[in-house]
Amino acid sequence: MGPKLSRRHFVGGAAALSALAPLGIVPAFSQEHQSFIARVDRDVENLDPAFRTSLTDSNVIRVVYQRLIDYNVGAYGWQLDAAEAIEQKSDLEITFRLKQGIMFTGGYGEMTADDVKFSLERFAFPDAEGRVSSYRQDWADLKEVVVHDKYSGSIIFERPAPNIWQSALPHASGAIVSRKAVEKFGAQFGRNPVGSGRYEVVSFSAQDGVVLKRNPLFLDTPGEFESFTVRFISNVKTAQLAVEAGEIDFTQVPLTTVPELERSGRVAVSVIPTQKFIWLGLNTESPKLADIKVRQAIRAAVNIDEVLLGAYQGKAPRLNTLLPAGLAGHWAEAPVYTQDLQQAQALLAEANVSGPLKVKLTVLNEPVFNTIALIVQAQLAAAGIEVEIDQREGGSFWSAGKDESGENMELYITSFNTSVAPVANTRWFLPNQIGDWNWSRWNSPEFEELYDSISVDFDIDSRSAKLIEMQRLMDESAAFIWLTSDVVAYAHQTWLVPMILPNGVDCQYAYFRRA
Amino acid sequence: MRDFLGKIVTAIAAVLAAMLLIFLLMSVVPGDPASTLLGPQASPEFVRQYIQQMGLDQPVHVRLIRFFENLLTGNLGTDVVSGRPVWDIIVEAVPNTMLLAVSSMALACIIGIPLGVFGVMTKSPTIDAVITSLSIVFVSMPSFIVGIALLVIFSSWLNWLPVLGASADASLLDKFRAMILPTTALAIGWIGIIGRLVRSSMLEALSQNYVRTARAYGLRKSLVFYKYALRNAIIPTITVVGMGFARLIGGAVLVEVLFARQGLGTVIYDALISRNFSVLQGSIFVVVVLFVFINFITEYVFRIADPRFSKDAA
Repeated sequence: MGPKLSRRHFVGGAAALSALAPLGIVPAFSQEHQSFIARVDRDVENLDPAFRTSLTDSNVIRVVYQRLIDYNVGAYGWQLDAAEAIEQKSDLEITFRLKQGIMFTGGYGEMTADDVKFSLERFAFPDAEGRVSSYRQDWADLKEVVVHDKYSGSIIFERPAPNIWQSALPHASGAIVSRKAVEKFGAQFGRNPVGSGRYEVVSFSAQDGVVLKRNPLFLDTPGEFESFTVRFISNVKTAQLAVEAGEIDFTQVPLTTVPELERSGRVAVSVIPTQKFIWLGLNTESPKLADIKVRQAIRAAVNIDEVLLGAYQGKAPRLNTLLPAGLAGHWAEAPVYTQDLQQAQALLAEANVSGPLKVKLTVLNEPVFNTIALIVQAQLAAAGIEVEIDQREGGSFWSAGKDESGENMELYITSFNTSVAPVANTRWFLPNQIGDWNWSRWNSPEFEELYDSISVDFDIDSRSAKLIEMQRLMDESAAFIWLTSDVVAYAHQTWLVPMILPNGVDCQYAYFRRA
Repeated sequence: MRDFLGKIVTAIAAVLAAMLLIFLLMSVVPGDPASTLLGPQASPEFVRQYIQQMGLDQPVHVRLIRFFENLLTGNLGTDVVSGRPVWDIIVEAVPNTMLLAVSSMALACIIGIPLGVFGVMTKSPTIDAVITSLSIVFVSMPSFIVGIALLVIFSSWLNWLPVLGASADASLLDKFRAMILPTTALAIGWIGIIGRLVRSSMLEALSQNYVRTARAYGLRKSLVFYKYALRNAIIPTITVVGMGFARLIGGAVLVEVLFARQGLGTVIYDALISRNFSVLQGSIFVVVVLFVFINFITEYVFRIADPRFSKDAA
């Protein structure tokens, strides 16, 4: 029988421990894991919500600043944050009342409705120095914010903006800054953030990254850790070794390293589906691909399951339509195409393609995209289509489909992060995006009409039906061969429980906790 | 004095020519910086503003003139992404890179010079062959590959040394430990170069008449070897070390990226990848100036080390 712990032993032990505390000799368990280090693959550049530059900035911004509403933990629903109450009063008005006593860090006083007005309007309109927000689109329909009293106000829109509840209010574009602090720091505010969130920035340097500590002024449940650091490590191999060595606590790792990491048993590995959309695109304006039968032939020649097996070891879920499962408007009945080489050859014959069809496939020079390209090249070769792969590094790839160079694009493989607002994901395929992000140069006025109509529609069922119709139009065009909604792998210490939104990439650092 | 002024003018011309080349290259490099850096979320107004702030809507010669005009007022420009002065970013990074370059070159000299001397001194052709082969292996190994191997062995398997660069407030010991692997990775190639150079210079020096004469006078072997032969053999090494030091700053790029050290190399790499031209042109300017300056200094050190050169010049 093992030793018993009596109340007397417990009290005695506790007294002995408290006597040791002033000497700094305390057991490790009481001090362990008071902080964590999260690695990011892009440096934190600008923590001014209106001028943020990346997802990395956004993830830190959502920790430092409060919004009227916040996402739920690990989910897209919302909960109250700085607002005590918030309501869609009419199609063009949202009213809010702030909680009283929310204090900005650094002695910048209490948050008021005027700070909300200042924070939101600086997205929609140029600031005092004439700078335009990089995320102006998020508040494009904002007319003004009217302040009723110290704590309440109304957000007034030019036209209905139902997406605001998903994509702007709880996200970084809804972050409430201190007017006083922004006016003091000007363009330097991005390096001197003043917010009221769970954590505050204590240092910001190239070598050490951004160090944040728990905000003692925060009104609600405080962050679980005393502090945490967001550190930029560009090389993923270095990050993998660092997490295994315990020098960092959380990092994204390539899918190919998962078996090795799992075997080592030194860290926990989470492989989670994301909501990206990765597809093989076809330029509808290219002389070689203008005939829809040629595009359909290419679609028939591709074996998507084989692509996923080769490029993702079969771990990535297949995508059959633009919006991945889990997003409102997902088209569950979308056709699931299977490889049919005979059909592909017949379609090419119907399109009067004589001799082998030669097309160029432009891809980003990353291992997974290169693998996809090689598999697609082999599959299309079986149908008599010769593919020349044009691998490009980021700088030239992301402009390959734009302006005049976009006219020469033929096939491409690309990937977009998904917005929580389903309709926002469709905007890249509008006719006005041709020469910009609509690399398939697909021009569908019907698609555009549906987009315009859905953007002002508050009825959830009606919106979903329209979204499905939009995806049906995309399918009909045969300009998009959907591949996968991707998966992402994270390695982290076993004592750390990370929290990530369903898109798999928006980390909720404020809600990271100990296991 | 005239010679000195001539060198200064040459140095300035070299910097101007290098910057002209950089600006020309940046103007032809494919890719739209706004798309690369900002992604699809950026509104057209923001893209226009960004292009304007970067000065990318101006012809190359206008951008170059503006760059040098700003430079005369001590302004290297502003990073339009973070809003920080480029100078601040560089000042933060340069000490890390210089420390890495100095420690690597010091390590390369400490190991490379004795290695070369030992190769000549040893009577054993086998040992000489081993040293020569080792030098060739060192020279041919890219520092990036050496770095990964060192990380896997010493950080991952043995857990002796850290993977990442130490933080600014780390103890001196931690900073030293964090320097060992990147320094070694960067120094390995130079150990081979210096070792081979010293060996061949020593062999050449030992065949000279003054060495034969010294031996004929009955001077001690070690005296002849170290005082007369090595002293002369080391002169070409000084030039190579000087030139190499400047090149090490360039070589530090990948090592800094690998070991997550925030130096000038990382700044240039990130700016290049993200097409952040305002940071790129400022940091390349600093590298060019450092390169020219170090070569300038090397030449004068060389003159001090080799009196014949000074007399010829005079």
